[in-house]
Amino acid sequence: MTTQRAGAVATRPRLEVVVTGLSSDAHTWNLVYLQLLLEELGCRVTNLGGCTPDEVIVRECVDNRPDLVVIGSLNGHGVQDGTRLIAAVRACPALAATPVVIGGKLDVAGGGDGHNGDRLLVAGFDAVFEDTGGLNPFRSFVRTLAARPATAAVGAR
Amino acid sequence: MTAVAEPGAPALTGTGILPAAASLPRVPSFGEVVAAHRARGDLVVQPRMGFADPDRMRQGLLATRGARAATVGTITLDSYTRVGDHDAVARALAAGADLNGYPLVDADAAGTARMLADALAPAFPVQVRHGSADPRRIVRTLLARGLHATEGGPVSYCLPYSRLPLVTAVEHWRQTCETLAAAREHGSEPHLETFGGCMMGQLCPPALLVALSVLEGMFFRQHGLRCISFSYAQQTHAGQDEEAVAALRRLIRRYVPDARTHVVVYTYMGVYPRTPAGALGLLAESARLAVRTGASRLIVKTEAEAHRIPTIAENVAALEHAAAASRSADPGGPVEDTGIHAQAQALIEAVLTLDDDLGRALTVAFARGHLDVPYCLHPDNAGRARGYLDRDGRLQWQRIGAMPLGDLVTVPATEPMTSSGLLDALQYVQRTFDDRFDTTRRYITSTGTWESHMTTTPLDSRITAGQRPPGTRAHLTSPVTQAALRIQNSILAGSREHLSTLGFQEMMPPIIGPVTDPGVRGAKQIDVDFYGHRYKLMTSVILYKQASLLAFDKIFYVAPNVRLEPLETADTGRHLAEFTQIDVEVADASREDILDLLQGLLRHIVRHVLRESKADLTALGRDPDVFEALLRDDFERISHPDAVAHLRRLRHLQSTDAEIDWEGERLISEQTDRPFFIVGYPKGSRGFTDGESSTEPGVLRNFDLIAPDGYGELCSGGERTYEYRRLIERMRETGENPAKYKWYLDLAREGLRPSAGFGLGLERVTRYLAGLDAAWQGNAFPKLPGIVSP
Repeated sequence: MTTQRAGAVATRPRLEVVVTGLSSDAHTWNLVYLQLLLEELGCRVTNLGGCTPDEVIVRECVDNRPDLVVIGSLNGHGVQDGTRLIAAVRACPALAATPVVIGGKLDVAGGGDGHNGDRLLVAGFDAVFEDTGGLNPFRSFVRTLAARPATAAVGAR
Repeated sequence: MTAVAEPGAPALTGTGILPAAASLPRVPSFGEVVAAHRARGDLVVQPRMGFADPDRMRQGLLATRGARAATVGTITLDSYTRVGDHDAVARALAAGADLNGYPLVDADAAGTARMLADALAPAFPVQVRHGSADPRRIVRTLLARGLHATEGGPVSYCLPYSRLPLVTAVEHWRQTCETLAAAREHGSEPHLETFGGCMMGQLCPPALLVALSVLEGMFFRQHGLRCISFSYAQQTHAGQDEEAVAALRRLIRRYVPDARTHVVVYTYMGVYPRTPAGALGLLAESARLAVRTGASRLIVKTEAEAHRIPTIAENVAALEHAAAASRSADPGGPVEDTGIHAQAQALIEAVLTLDDDLGRALTVAFARGHLDVPYCLHPDNAGRARGYLDRDGRLQWQRIGAMPLGDLVTVPATEPMTSSGLLDALQYVQRTFDDRFDTTRRYITSTGTWESHMTTTPLDSRITAGQRPPGTRAHLTSPVTQAALRIQNSILAGSREHLSTLGFQEMMPPIIGPVTDPGVRGAKQIDVDFYGHRYKLMTSVILYKQASLLAFDKIFYVAPNVRLEPLETADTGRHLAEFTQIDVEVADASREDILDLLQGLLRHIVRHVLRESKADLTALGRDPDVFEALLRDDFERISHPDAVAHLRRLRHLQSTDAEIDWEGERLISEQTDRPFFIVGYPKGSRGFTDGESSTEPGVLRNFDLIAPDGYGELCSGGERTYEYRRLIERMRETGENPAKYKWYLDLAREGLRPSAGFGLGLERVTRYLAGLDAAWQGNAFPKLPGIVSP
């Protein structure tokens, strides 16, 4: 019997994840939290911090080709800034298929009516996690993404 | 409306000594207005208000001025302006999109002038709040619009909120200070407030906040400002905050003796209470902090803080609530000295020795980690320091990095910060104030403060030995049952949170099957007729857990179990014929992995319950201190032979080759202050599922978790038998008929994964955490062995 740690998921490749805020958003506690959460899910995290200009995010992604980009936004400008960023990301051929998700408080009204989520998905995000939905959908998304190559390798269920 | 908010109010002569100016300012400075209010015994209250629309902004300023409080005005700028993204402002304005503040730089100058014309008055100055690491354009604009008060700092508006190199921010702020100082020739004495007392809002220990606030004020003074306020943001503990503000005032007198100065307190800047009552309670506490420490001004937060950008009315309500609280606050007494002053002074002195130019000294101090802001992601911050909350809610150092505090701080043994631990700490104030002030909660404790209206009548959860559950209605309507079930709910939520964080898959439990766990300790199984086949109700899902690992690496069930336990167990207080287990299984794990996992899970559950069910624990008279050892020390692991020897010393006749009996478990459990593991039961005491040691034949790789204080066994588990051949052998040894286990053995023949796991008894954990006399008190429809009941 092996003595591998209970917390590890050694059979799966670790996801390389970039965590970042958006250009006008100075909140960083959400990013510190996301980093710890993703690390506990077995990911390796590069945290770009707050107020990150679009070109810094794009350059980081082109240079390091992460498996996932997680954008945290709390200042109410998430819809505007996120829409602009994802256009820049998708305009880059190398990043056309990179999974990019956004979450937090995305508009100034609070409580979201779903339109903004739809706008962001149409703009090119792979998933939108509004802060009213709790963290489990995000965890599931990350786990599903982490499981994808392993499942494919054994022929899927 | 207060008298001093009117033009032509009483003369605002300064209370301090200002350097002589060639031409006296026509308009009193921000600091003079605040000093005049202070001389009248009023705490100045100020909002954090900013709207994109000039008309709405104007209404906000007028409403602030008209509030029943001593007020000054605020224009908070939007975050595009803060980062200097003027194209984005222009686009947003053109598109009619909402901004989160007033775009002062890009707004039409005439519009801003109209906005200010009605609102500004000599006794009602307006401060611009912005958050920018490069405020040069902002400051030039505000001076051009006739304003002369703002806030920030080279460190506090760089590290937490910007990506600019610190050295660049220092240079911007030097120029900004000089621009501001030069403006005194044209009108009022300009005012600058440090933001350094707020670094990150949360989890930065007070000594560093105080030091940075003083250092930024010294930087302003070095670059020509003469009217300066020093901020301190309310943290997690009222007594500690009072000590910090007292230290701040002492250090201002020492390091900035030759300017007009005052202290401004910020109502809590972290995760804010969600309930209106909790939000107002926290606001009132910050007002008391300001009054008790002799601060002159308070910047408030509103009820809406946790939810959205507040309205004008919500801002006014907050101003008036804070003013009312300040008027009824007790004057402060002597403050405790836990070392905040000494730590802050050590940090300041360490910076001052680095360079005569304070800007260069600050840059070097951060580069060397002599100043290090916990959890700050800025590239120029060392990021080695950590803050944490101690048991009393005081904000302490967990790590000091390279800061010169080694002689002054005792750093605790470090536990790595987890995401849920961080969330716990970040939400501490929210939780505490929502719990304390929201009177809609069932059992609220008296806090002795003026907001609290309810007191507690403790519930009596005691029952006599052998007492049976009352009737269903009496049981379900009993406040004890309700409190116990709420605690149980919290146990489940905490378990799911922890296991989910660790990547576990929750699965739905099967209720019936052709075969179930062979059972232990004389419990019988219940048959059900499944289309003519004899099926069993689950006594445990262990076989299904092993099978589930074919799908996932880490799984758990919240599973009902039915065991017809022997009649004599009806009065143990621990046995139910129908109960629930949190059933966990991990592929490729060893027993030791599982013991670590279980210890972590139980600790998380306890923390979660202490946090979420505090009122119910209090109502049941369960003292949170009994869990101190559980949260602090590792659970001991003793071998079965050692446990037996120990029991024999206690004159309990325990067999060496059998389970520890009920009474023995209770006896041994009474000897300790925290849960412990008994490991390695002898083969023959347990069923075939428990894996046998390959190095010690006859010893099982299993364990029990025993709770202290007589609560007894909470959990059993261990490594599993999983190889086909061994399963057959062990079944034969334990008298089981392998033919009954066909579906399971078929799987095993093609390969089951090695694994270990456990089943944690939910009612037993509820009993232990809630301090109940019997496990049935934690079950809505308890079925005791042999007792006919619904």
